[in-house]
Amino acid sequence: MATINKKLSLGQSLFSEEIRISYKGPVDGKIITYLGDYIGVVNTLSEKATKKLFKIFFELAENISKYSSEKIKLKNGKEVGAGTIILKETVKNFILVTGNPIKNEHLIPVLENSKNINELDHSELREYKRSVRRENKDENHSPNIGLITVALTSGNPLDLEINPIDEKTSYFSISVKVDK
Amino acid sequence: MENIHIEGSHTNFFIPTVDFNSETGYCLLEGESFLEDTIEFYDPLIQWLEEFTTEVKNPLTFEIKLTYFNTSTSRSILDLLNIIKDYEEDGGEVLINWYYDEDDIDMEEDIEDYMLDTGLEIEMIPFED
Repeated sequence: MATINKKLSLGQSLFSEEIRISYKGPVDGKIITYLGDYIGVVNTLSEKATKKLFKIFFELAENISKYSSEKIKLKNGKEVGAGTIILKETVKNFILVTGNPIKNEHLIPVLENSKNINELDHSELREYKRSVRRENKDENHSPNIGLITVALTSGNPLDLEINPIDEKTSYFSISVKVDK
Repeated sequence: MENIHIEGSHTNFFIPTVDFNSETGYCLLEGESFLEDTIEFYDPLIQWLEEFTTEVKNPLTFEIKLTYFNTSTSRSILDLLNIIKDYEEDGGEVLINWYYDEDDIDMEEDIEDYMLDTGLEIEMIPFED
């Protein structure tokens, strides 16, 4: 848990000026669209950088909603994935961090995919995204096209951290930078 | 063949505006696309386009003015464009215009990638936000 806290910069820095958005809980469409819109409000980035941050946020938040093994039942009876979303601002960039527990069977393709992603340059990533989209396999067992989009949009490597919770589940967090 | 009109909205999800007209052959997809069930939304559009290109067979103008779409949507857009490509190869008259924010480099690359994937000529039309 200590590692997760470090990763998410929770603790002392939670209330510092660095944190622009901090959310923990169920991630459904309402929360995603609300926080997504809020990204445009809390930053002073150029329109270009705001669009990038917006796109990355949607993909990462959707991943929590789909793949988090922590499910929360809403009043309408719908079960949605839960997780943590932090948007931090530094002098040079914005850093979006998401974290959620995930079943290991979902984690393996994510890890394989992320390793590939971080080894590819921009044009190779575009080709990789096209090939994954063309194949259009079952999303649970194919490379996550959302993460490829995140890496392409960010222009920076994906920073992943995995901490085992038990034999079947791990805590997965991902940190992505967007240059100002 | 019935037309399809869906008024776009920006609430709990982002629903794009859809205007598919079988009499004029003008099809518009506009706004933002982030849906609760992407397949449920796009399947009728895909079926409509299949019917138009196999039965109506009039000239088709397909215009995309999406300012945002998620990756689930990107698969459905590819399905729509593949149908248009098949139609073009069968002799159908096709014009595709894709409007995008001139500052949105990622969108520009997306359009280029769709051209590579489908072999379609897409008219890329930048606009100022």
